[in-house]
Amino acid sequence: MATPKRYSYHVEAAALETGDRPRRFLEAFAAILQHGSYAVALDSYARMSAKCGRCATDCQLYAATGAPEDIPCHRSELLLRVYRRYFTPSGVLKARMFGGFELTDAYLDEMAEAYYRCTACRRCKASCPMGIDHGLMTHLARWVLAEVGIIPRALLVSVREQLDGKSGNTSAIPLPALKDTCEFLTEELHDIYDVDIEYPFDVEGAEYVFFPAVSDYIMEADTLMGNAAVMHVTDGSWTIGTGNYDGINYGLFYSDRMMERIVRRVVGEVRRLRGRKILIGECGHATRSAWYVPTFAGPDAPPVVNCLEYAWDMLEAGRIPLKAERIPERVTYHDPCNIARVGRITEQPREILKAICADYVEMTPNRTHNYCCGGGGGTVSIDEIRAFRTGPMGMRKAEQIRATGAQIVVSPCANCKKQLRELCQDNDLGDVEVVGVHDLLLRAIDFPAAGNGKGG
Amino acid sequence: MGGWLHVARGPLFQAALAFMLLGLARQLALTLWEAGRAYRRAGDRTIPAGQVARATARWLVPLGRLRDRWPYSLTTLLFHVGVILVPLFLAGHIALWERGTGLSWPALPNVVATALTLAVIATALAVVVLRGASRATRPLGRFQDYALPLIVGVAFASGFLVMHPAWNPFPADPTMLLHILTADLVLVLVPLTKLSHMILLPLTQLVSELAWHFPPDAGSRVAATLGKENEPI
Repeated sequence: MATPKRYSYHVEAAALETGDRPRRFLEAFAAILQHGSYAVALDSYARMSAKCGRCATDCQLYAATGAPEDIPCHRSELLLRVYRRYFTPSGVLKARMFGGFELTDAYLDEMAEAYYRCTACRRCKASCPMGIDHGLMTHLARWVLAEVGIIPRALLVSVREQLDGKSGNTSAIPLPALKDTCEFLTEELHDIYDVDIEYPFDVEGAEYVFFPAVSDYIMEADTLMGNAAVMHVTDGSWTIGTGNYDGINYGLFYSDRMMERIVRRVVGEVRRLRGRKILIGECGHATRSAWYVPTFAGPDAPPVVNCLEYAWDMLEAGRIPLKAERIPERVTYHDPCNIARVGRITEQPREILKAICADYVEMTPNRTHNYCCGGGGGTVSIDEIRAFRTGPMGMRKAEQIRATGAQIVVSPCANCKKQLRELCQDNDLGDVEVVGVHDLLLRAIDFPAAGNGKGG
Repeated sequence: MGGWLHVARGPLFQAALAFMLLGLARQLALTLWEAGRAYRRAGDRTIPAGQVARATARWLVPLGRLRDRWPYSLTTLLFHVGVILVPLFLAGHIALWERGTGLSWPALPNVVATALTLAVIATALAVVVLRGASRATRPLGRFQDYALPLIVGVAFASGFLVMHPAWNPFPADPTMLLHILTADLVLVLVPLTKLSHMILLPLTQLVSELAWHFPPDAGSRVAATLGKENEPI
């Protein structure tokens, strides 16, 4: 049950049991430092942090609020101060000799608020002369906070359902409902495009086992039809596993402990089906989490392929026939931070869109320097902070979209799409359509040329 | 005064230099040790070496970043160029090294050294003013952020006056003493403050990358340590 609001977001009652929270926080921090590899970064950051403020100019939130607490370096300092005081010899010595900073409940509350005002988009890392990764600090601080129970309830209940719940997925979609949905999508594909495309379940030995953000089955019918259509026209060997069909991993947003368990469940399902590769749907954080498969499942773990990589490879190889006429509306592309910030997936979606759209335009800045949609780091799931997400946090993105004059914004990420729709609604951009790459690809595929259907 | 000068230039300088070098060596060793440990424990040891190297080079020679916030960038770049080159390549400094150790190396022309010295004095002041004036840095500023550029500025200003006695309104020996003492102080402060970036900066991009390469069972081990293995979510 949600408690009265102490933070901008709802938490469960356990988070508010103050008194020994600072002690428990320090115990958790110590355990994480002992077993994790964060200390190497914390040591360097604690010594070198120059407080130059360059990160502020790259932070879309600070640009909107101008509030000192929204400067990335200020936020990171909240955790670095605790680290210096309790986990470095000089900090401990200084505290014994002169007193000074002590971790308190009020300080934990400040951290709880600060680290969920950051989407961990990591844009500011590129502007830090000292190479401080403020996204890493947010990632770590959220984990330590989670160990004392401070987790937005929206994230917690999703992970609880995924790991301990009956349905085993974050949207609590039971298997019969999933199968009904897929049957409905098959009918839609037949009715609109006159193609017969089945969603394969539990095919043993398939090349790809498919893990979209499970919310796509509720929210993104066109994306899933596009995914199936691409696999169909390319004769792809794929399957959906009935034991686990959710690519979402909110562990990335608040706990490596949960992230590890969720990744291992994905790998377990692929191994159960004797699949060869993991195919991730249109979802930024699901993809980034899946890139941790070798971390948690070893070098023999199945390779991870994002559906955009697959689709572009196939399109480039001429395996996806396209209609002669291109999509006429003005289209722009939003880079999901989790796949674009490190430059890993930036060109494939653009190449696909350029191949199928008559009027493709870029937002500026883009690719590795793109602005976050405003709902990253799991914050899009927290409905009670919508005004914050679509206000100060999303303002820059809304301006970017407006400047392109685009009628369609494309983003291959379930979280970005939800946020962008709300952003457009709340920022007088109601006419802008927000879709995935595969939604448009579906409209552009020439099914008769592929030997099937009338082509919609 | 001569005795003070002798102490400041001799044993005090040697102690300050040794303190700095040993302090930096310790930090380098600790960082390399921790980085090696993180790498060995990582579940996935695929490091994007090219990306890390490019980011490192970009910030070691940040000429490509001058356009971003150019007044600040240009000021700090000039400051760093002078702070690195003048102490090491001033003819007067090299002569001292040669006298003490027999080692010498090519010097900067005096006119260049003078220009760089003036640049350091001006930019040290500018860094302090910009920090205080900027909405994005004022709330972040600690004592050391204001004190360090000023101490460096005093070391360079007194050095300039030593080199240009005609411009010096103060007696020569106290000016020289101030120059040597502030320089000694800077050396001592290097490993104790953010100045340690002089040794850690080349490693920071690698360190940031390594921190994302988790040990495969860190989460399970944390759960075990905290007694949470069987705790419901």
